[in-house]
Amino acid sequence: MTTVVVNGREQAVEHGETVARLLDRLGLGGRFALVERNGEPLERERYADVELASGDRLVVARPVAGG
Amino acid sequence: MDDTLTIAGRSFGSRLILGTGKYETFELMRAAVGASGAEMVTVAVRRIDFDEPTEDITSFLPEEILLLPNTSGCETAEEAVRMAKLARAGGLPDWIKLEVIPDPRYLLPDPVETLRAAEALVADGFTVLPYMLPDPVLAKRLEEVGCATVMPLAAPIGTGRGLKLRDSIRIMIEQAEIPVVVDAGLGAPSHAAEAMELGADAVLVNTAIARADDPVAMARAFRLAAEAGRAARLAGIMDEQETASPSSPVGGTV
Repeated sequence: MTTVVVNGREQAVEHGETVARLLDRLGLGGRFALVERNGEPLERERYADVELASGDRLVVARPVAGG
Repeated sequence: MDDTLTIAGRSFGSRLILGTGKYETFELMRAAVGASGAEMVTVAVRRIDFDEPTEDITSFLPEEILLLPNTSGCETAEEAVRMAKLARAGGLPDWIKLEVIPDPRYLLPDPVETLRAAEALVADGFTVLPYMLPDPVLAKRLEEVGCATVMPLAAPIGTGRGLKLRDSIRIMIEQAEIPVVVDAGLGAPSHAAEAMELGADAVLVNTAIARADDPVAMARAFRLAAEAGRAARLAGIMDEQETASPSSPVGGTV
């Protein structure tokens, strides 16, 4: 196991766990989960390929009601 | 009659755009969007709060509706560009309602930061719809850097005060070569009709519908008002006269 930070909170992930797998575990398999990894926006097409590394900082966002 | 609104090459049959904020439930929002006939709705982008998970708003919106993410919450150009890129990377459309608002009391947009962000986003391939004070000079600058529309506020967000900045919006409409979308401050359907009569290409409404006693009925009312205002604009509105002229024959009185 290793640790990443998701929205400011530490999160344990398995070695080699992908972004897609993490989103799934967090219950974010919806239509849009928006991800920034270490300050860079991550393309949705890459969620299933990008493996998380220890210390990665993720921002996970999504569309919400707004005007 | 074919009277479609075209923004950045995409055609819309409806000239009413809806914000999705402030509804009591997503079900009510969905029903109001349906009653409004809107083909484009705005959404905000926020970090997920894992302590208070909420439902996914996009699952309440039909696939064919264009989602227009906004950059609300951003106070600088850099923040807005970051949020737009996050939204696009995650699969939202590359259309962005650009809002750069440093002032919480009146929620007025920062013109300098808005122009800077617009320039960067257009260069990066975004279709940019900037929220702005109705400044005709700024509108031309935003047009020159490649914005798809300009979106002047009628009055501050959520105030429902109507076309308080009417004269500036009128000049913008006269000079613009891109669609002018009046956004924010429209409180009643008559305000929307007035904006359309003035020559606005579309109106964007949120609070006035979401906070009505019956949002679905109000959505329909705004739909009719936007259509009426547009039809009147195309029909040609009479010039105001100083003195009366009788509508009935002046002679032959019995």
